[in-house]
Amino acid sequence: MAIEIQPLEQFKIERLIPIHIGGVDVSYTNAAFLMTVAVVLITALIMLGTRKRALVPDRWQSVAEMSYEFVADMVDTNVGHGGREFFPFVFTLFMFILFANFLGLVPYSYTVTSQIVVTFALAAVVFIGVTIIGIVRHGFHFLRLFVPQGVPAVLLLLLVPIELLSYCIRPFTLSIRLFANMLAGHTMLAIFGGFAASIGLLGIFPLGINILLVALEVLVAALQAYVFAILTCLYLSDAINLH
Amino acid sequence: MVRRAPAILPPVPVSMVALPRMSDSRPPDPLARLGEEIDKARAERVRREPVVSHRSVLQQGLGLGFRIGIELVVAIVVATGLGWAIDRWFGTRPWGMIVLFFLGVAAGMLNVYRAVTGISGPVGYRRGDQVSAGSKDRWDDEDC
Repeated sequence: MAIEIQPLEQFKIERLIPIHIGGVDVSYTNAAFLMTVAVVLITALIMLGTRKRALVPDRWQSVAEMSYEFVADMVDTNVGHGGREFFPFVFTLFMFILFANFLGLVPYSYTVTSQIVVTFALAAVVFIGVTIIGIVRHGFHFLRLFVPQGVPAVLLLLLVPIELLSYCIRPFTLSIRLFANMLAGHTMLAIFGGFAASIGLLGIFPLGINILLVALEVLVAALQAYVFAILTCLYLSDAINLH
Repeated sequence: MVRRAPAILPPVPVSMVALPRMSDSRPPDPLARLGEEIDKARAERVRREPVVSHRSVLQQGLGLGFRIGIELVVAIVVATGLGWAIDRWFGTRPWGMIVLFFLGVAAGMLNVYRAVTGISGPVGYRRGDQVSAGSKDRWDDEDC
């Protein structure tokens, strides 16, 4: 008997608690549930980690401090002067994506970041936020971001649209990178898992590949959270330290 | 990094608690001694494992590699799509798409170029002069 393989089924949104308000579907779905789990876990980690405030940290405190220092270092390095006030935002973003990615690796759970809606919403928040911060900080001067210095006026006709376009593309690259990585990774896992289940004893080979793939996915999960956070830092840096 | 830190640190408090040797020339204050011991362990680690910097380079390289792969493709696709939409709204059939396609290629290349030229400093879009200015800012910060 052949086992039916549907690698994309794992991305299906299911309504756990159907809610409709004024014809708008705002149901509590499995994706929303996993987001709730991520937020609860992050809060628990930080609360547990900061409860004792021991000089010699225990495990929880160690993990909380390490994640704090990691992000703080990233903000310091990439945003530089005056970046500290955006630390809470970057930290929240990083932890949320990291936990969402890792929770997605738990069997039978759901990968929130494999939905473009979610990643694009995050990226749009970053993009709009950075633009507003830039305009508030520098006013009209912010538009100089799109005008390269020391360039003949004729070339500006060409270069300004390019700069503008490369700026406006940011939320797309930011969101598609995360979404595509998670989608591709989890699809691949499901496909190899399906092979392993359907070809009997020979399935040991795809199973072996799957084990390696899980290791790769752990790397990708952490790395994508890191990349998202570091790019947020760089965009912030662009808006704050205008050239 | 995540694995290594606990492996180094636990022996310090254990030896502190179990063997409070007060006889030799070390400071009697347990806190100062702990600090001393941590400093020593840290110096030891730096001396023994220059791997740490190698690791961070690897981490940066991986981050960069995963980043720029998608940069060019997305720029072209999004720009072309935008051109198509503009054509639909204004009825300028092929021109918006053609012009924006080339602009998208240019913008994608620009993004990749910036990502790559920032490779020597912190991973990023900044050019050399800005990178050095940025790191100077960092050292001015009081709690590095």
